[in-house]
Amino acid sequence: MKILDFSQSYFDLFEQPLSFEIDLKQMHENQQNLQTKFHPDRFVNASGEEKRLSVQQASWVNEAYQTLVNPVKRARYMLEVSGQDMKNESETTSDIEFLMEQIALREKMEEVRDKQNPLEECDGLVKHLKLRSKEMSDDFTNKFQSGDFETAKLVSRKMQFFQRLSDQVMDLQFQLEDENS
Amino acid sequence: MALLQISEPGQSSAPHQHRFSAGIDLGTTNSLVSTVRSGIAETLPDEFGNVLLPSIVYMGNELRLVGQEAQKFQAEDPLNTLSSIKRLMGRGIQDLTQLGNVLPYEFVKNENQIVPRIKTAIGEISAVEVSARILEKLAVRAEKTLGGKLEGVVITVPAYFDDAQRQATRDAATLAGLNVYRLLNEPTAAAVAYGLDQQHDGVIAVYDLGGGTFDISILRLNKGIFEVLATGGDSALGGDDIDHAVGEWILEHAHFEQIDAVLSRRVLIAARAAKEALTTQNTTELSVNYADHTWQGSLTIEQFNLIAEPIIKKTLTPCRRVLRDANIDIDQIAQVVMVGGSTRVLLVPQMVEGFFKRKPMTDLDPDQVVAIGAAIQADVLCGNKPDSEMLLLDVLPLSLGIETMGGLSEKIISRNTPIPAAKAQEFTTFKNGQTSMSVHVIQGERELVSDCRSLARFELCGFPPMVAGAARIRVTYQVDADGLMTVSAEELTSGVIADIVVKPSYGLTDTEIESMLRASMDFAQEDIDLRMLKEQQVEAKRVIEALDAALASDGPSLLDEFEINEVLLHRNELEQQIESTTTDGLKKLIKAVEVASESYVAKRMNSSVVKALAGKKIDEVNF
Repeated sequence: MKILDFSQSYFDLFEQPLSFEIDLKQMHENQQNLQTKFHPDRFVNASGEEKRLSVQQASWVNEAYQTLVNPVKRARYMLEVSGQDMKNESETTSDIEFLMEQIALREKMEEVRDKQNPLEECDGLVKHLKLRSKEMSDDFTNKFQSGDFETAKLVSRKMQFFQRLSDQVMDLQFQLEDENS
Repeated sequence: MALLQISEPGQSSAPHQHRFSAGIDLGTTNSLVSTVRSGIAETLPDEFGNVLLPSIVYMGNELRLVGQEAQKFQAEDPLNTLSSIKRLMGRGIQDLTQLGNVLPYEFVKNENQIVPRIKTAIGEISAVEVSARILEKLAVRAEKTLGGKLEGVVITVPAYFDDAQRQATRDAATLAGLNVYRLLNEPTAAAVAYGLDQQHDGVIAVYDLGGGTFDISILRLNKGIFEVLATGGDSALGGDDIDHAVGEWILEHAHFEQIDAVLSRRVLIAARAAKEALTTQNTTELSVNYADHTWQGSLTIEQFNLIAEPIIKKTLTPCRRVLRDANIDIDQIAQVVMVGGSTRVLLVPQMVEGFFKRKPMTDLDPDQVVAIGAAIQADVLCGNKPDSEMLLLDVLPLSLGIETMGGLSEKIISRNTPIPAAKAQEFTTFKNGQTSMSVHVIQGERELVSDCRSLARFELCGFPPMVAGAARIRVTYQVDADGLMTVSAEELTSGVIADIVVKPSYGLTDTEIESMLRASMDFAQEDIDLRMLKEQQVEAKRVIEALDAALASDGPSLLDEFEINEVLLHRNELEQQIESTTTDGLKKLIKAVEVASESYVAKRMNSSVVKALAGKKIDEVNF
């Protein structure tokens, strides 16, 4: 059985450049090729040792894929493989302007239900968040490419805030749609 | 002994390269076994042609029966006739109150026991053991049909089954002596059954509405790879809810004075019959008889649809959610597959079509499609198809987490994560010299630990004493391809592998499994003894019948009175003792009849040769 090199980066595993822009379609194909080789279903009649190895490797491939397809996780992983300490980082941001924006957006989300047309309001908010997320990831790409990892780290933290907020707004959107149908 | 031998034609076949495997659908109401023969997956019937084995075990009257034979006792001896046992799989004593209305059994009251045991006339039994008996019965059916031992099986489980329920299913297979290649999610199995037929790549939705549960899965099929994108559902929504709604409609119209358990039961039976009738006709007559009052009425399909609509509509919320989780738009769905007996209700495919804007596929029998998919995967896994591209990539149905301060849950691996999956987490000590810590593993989506399912409590111990905060304990959670979790832990600064003491919240400990395995082997020996006795009894009856037929045709012409009496003496003794003697006793008595009739047999042979020579056709001679 072929053994995966666990020391390689997730980007190398999927034959992708160390960049925020990745070819998701190609990655998906590579992921399926890797699972075809390493998934435990291919080792049902193998030895216990090979079975265990297969579970480990297939898990690792899955973890790698899940990390890279998620924009925030991908950004933070890029910093990690570039030697940045991502574990002992503070969970807060001191960017006052950013915090004010967050608070305003949260208030907007909480008021959606009181609006005349909540669904339309919610759709507007989703669009706005998508736009802002795109701006953030462009900002991240610039900072990362110029080697300004400290700022890139701060931006990745902001991206995380936005993702959390987006998830909550999408939940709300889902609830509203469900109530309407 | 040509006269007395009525032997089966030789059935021993040449040794086969093909490995035998099967797919088993272990259902709440019925179970099935399916296998691939000559490239075609088919569900296997029993000797009477029944494909469905009722998931019922009877434990009374010194008998242990499974399936149709057990079902016969349901009305007369309900407490010893165990049905719907799947609802108890992986459940603890605490869950019984919730299930009390559904399952009328008497449970053993023992505080120390984790797994509930049911009292029956011939002993206590757990859900795992009941399931094992059903699996055994199906395995025997498959092995008889295939003419060889099963190398391994794929057993299907509902996608929403948690770790404890999956483990219980695996334990049942271990008890039944089966090698489980894989636990396969039922919707994935259905997608395989359809997908391989159609050879279309694209996104598939599997809509599975059973009696008590609803599952919805979204899969992407690409060159033989089935990738589950998301799965969801409602574990307390199903066709039974339609029965209850129709039942309420009946009570509304029937004006019975008092409603008690017996009446409720009768109303439900009438409701279910009406639901089933309306799958093929536009109107149906109902009648409920109770005390002195008989109510008769009719229900049209239009009225029925009005009653059923709110229930079926409830399935659409999980459909929407799962599409969102999969990040798929409705117009990307290429096929919708229907599974589960409740999809026979005509309004179900209609409403599903309305939601997905696509006519659902109903070509395969919704009762059999899951077993067929499991058989196809078992065939691939056992290595019969080395060139097969087929691969199933499934997901974790419910998030795995641990308990943190204040009884809150912290997700470690979130639902819809592809499996196998592994996650590591680091802990530190909060007291000087601390050498152990406990971790409570839970499963579910809710914030509060008390709203999630407790899977296990782990005691990590044996790491070296250090000052508070210095130790770094890494706990690794590993979920395998069956969706089952294992945990390992290591103290990183010293490299000491921590010992893990597992206290499963609902599952069986290894010792329990071992003792059950032993008990089941004892039981199996009894079963074998009983079967051999039954076989000898049948053999004795055959001998007597053959002898009687022979004597009636040519006895008086070939034997004198003394010879006839000598043969009859042994024959009668055998007949008298058929029910009372042992297997060995019967063997001796049969032998005695054979010895006594040796000369008679010789005379018959001669006479038949004479007759044959006299121009008679050989097949007219009655041996």
